[in-house]
Amino acid sequence: MTAMQPAVGASTSSDMTINLGPQHPSTHGVLRLMVALDGEYVKSCRPVIGYLHRGLERMMASRPYRQSVPFTDRLDYCASLNSNLAISQAIERIGGMAVPERAQCLRVMLCEMNRIASHLIFFGTYAADIGATTAFLYAFRERERLLDLLEAYTGARLTYNWIRPGGVASDMPEGYAAAVCTFLDGFLKELDAYDTLLTGNPIFRVRTEGVGIISPEKAIAYGASGPVLRGSGVNIDLRRTEPYDAYPQMQFDVPVRTEGDCLARYLVRVEEMRQSARIIRQCLREMPEGEHWGKQPKVFRPAAGEAYSRTESPRGELSIYLVSDGTANPVRVRVRGPSFVHLSMLPELVRGVKVADMIAILGSLDTVLGEVDR
Amino acid sequence: MSAPAEAALDALRKALGDGVTACTLDGATLRLQVAPGSLHQAALHLRDADGLRFDYPADLLAWDTGERFVVVYRLWSTTLSHTAILRVELERDGAAIASVTDLWPGMNWHEREVYDLYGIEIVGHPDADDPTRMRILLPKDWEGFPFRKDYVPVFSGDPLHGPQETN
Repeated sequence: MTAMQPAVGASTSSDMTINLGPQHPSTHGVLRLMVALDGEYVKSCRPVIGYLHRGLERMMASRPYRQSVPFTDRLDYCASLNSNLAISQAIERIGGMAVPERAQCLRVMLCEMNRIASHLIFFGTYAADIGATTAFLYAFRERERLLDLLEAYTGARLTYNWIRPGGVASDMPEGYAAAVCTFLDGFLKELDAYDTLLTGNPIFRVRTEGVGIISPEKAIAYGASGPVLRGSGVNIDLRRTEPYDAYPQMQFDVPVRTEGDCLARYLVRVEEMRQSARIIRQCLREMPEGEHWGKQPKVFRPAAGEAYSRTESPRGELSIYLVSDGTANPVRVRVRGPSFVHLSMLPELVRGVKVADMIAILGSLDTVLGEVDR
Repeated sequence: MSAPAEAALDALRKALGDGVTACTLDGATLRLQVAPGSLHQAALHLRDADGLRFDYPADLLAWDTGERFVVVYRLWSTTLSHTAILRVELERDGAAIASVTDLWPGMNWHEREVYDLYGIEIVGHPDADDPTRMRILLPKDWEGFPFRKDYVPVFSGDPLHGPQETN
């Protein structure tokens, strides 16, 4: 930073307070930032959230357990299958349901496909935030192909309601494995091309390298997770540290970068797409025979108690905590979304940076407001 | 859990006395219930004691049983990979609890949400002196706490404006 940078907390007559959002392209949804500026520098920033608050947790708590799955589609709408998985796992744990091996493998495959789709949105919109519009168009072309594939299987493009307590809604259609493999072959080639388009771009690097550095200590104290945590050199991926479903059988690398800046978080996500492709291939190759759906009780009344799931969504730790009092409806459904936690770090990350860097930092956190506001 | 963890828990029980109302170990999960007044001290111990090292604020949630509020802190250790479910029960009247944002900055927004939805006062929170700044998901002038069992929404009668708007 230069000598121009104002002392943090000092108030001068040149202060200006501006509002970013709630309708602003760079906030990726309805997020409002109240920013105090001294010239080009951010003195303080206070995010205002809740514009998308629908009371989903309360809605889920006022109906039988298994009816809450479609609500989770509306949390992180870029990766709904991952939210489906989190609620399904929590319900299975509180009710002691078993999931057949084939269903576990199908779930992992679907979640990884959704992870690629979600990271492609990040890739495209982040480039657009920085000012490189071309990458956005390419990323969405590839995402479109992936959504077509997901639609062929689940019937929906965004709100799938497909992973359900006990398994998945139905088995793969015939010839699906071949179609996914064909997509992956093309996708990996395209991804290399995108990489050369954006990653090596000197302007992109200047805008992201050394910007918004998060130390590993700070990331942990804030409860950061996913690519934000791994971009800060902390090697924690719940698919590895607390594996669930078919993940223990999967061979994949967990990309970790030690720089902690915006570029590191970007690079972690790009590499994760390659690893997801690897996992999907393994799922298709080693898909066990059997049922896609476990035995289900007709009336679902779990014993009084608590259970929670911890899953690795594309954004980080997505956990759902259920509290039962022995009746058909839960007492509490709590959604702990990674976006909410990451957004709470923003005021500290942007203090003293330039306005344009604030946008770069916000984009690198890859928050989804549906999950922040619930 | 390991021997240092057992020793650290014994030290905690000794330090808090009656403040610890329940403490069980279940695999890699520690379930601990403390009196509201002992929360901050217990949290500090969980974070810093050798063998415990709960450095990661994974989650904070509350619920309303109808008779009282339950607040649960889900903590995790990135180095030792174990979980703590730290539980506090509060009477409904004048429910208040100490802030742990000074221990884990990541608890800041979670605590605001607990206030926002349940009206549990967070003593010592950075925004605690101004209730409108504590609101996080709801508008700052919202009345009442919608996740309480006894919450009754007040409708304006105009569906376009939703609850609580008057004109």
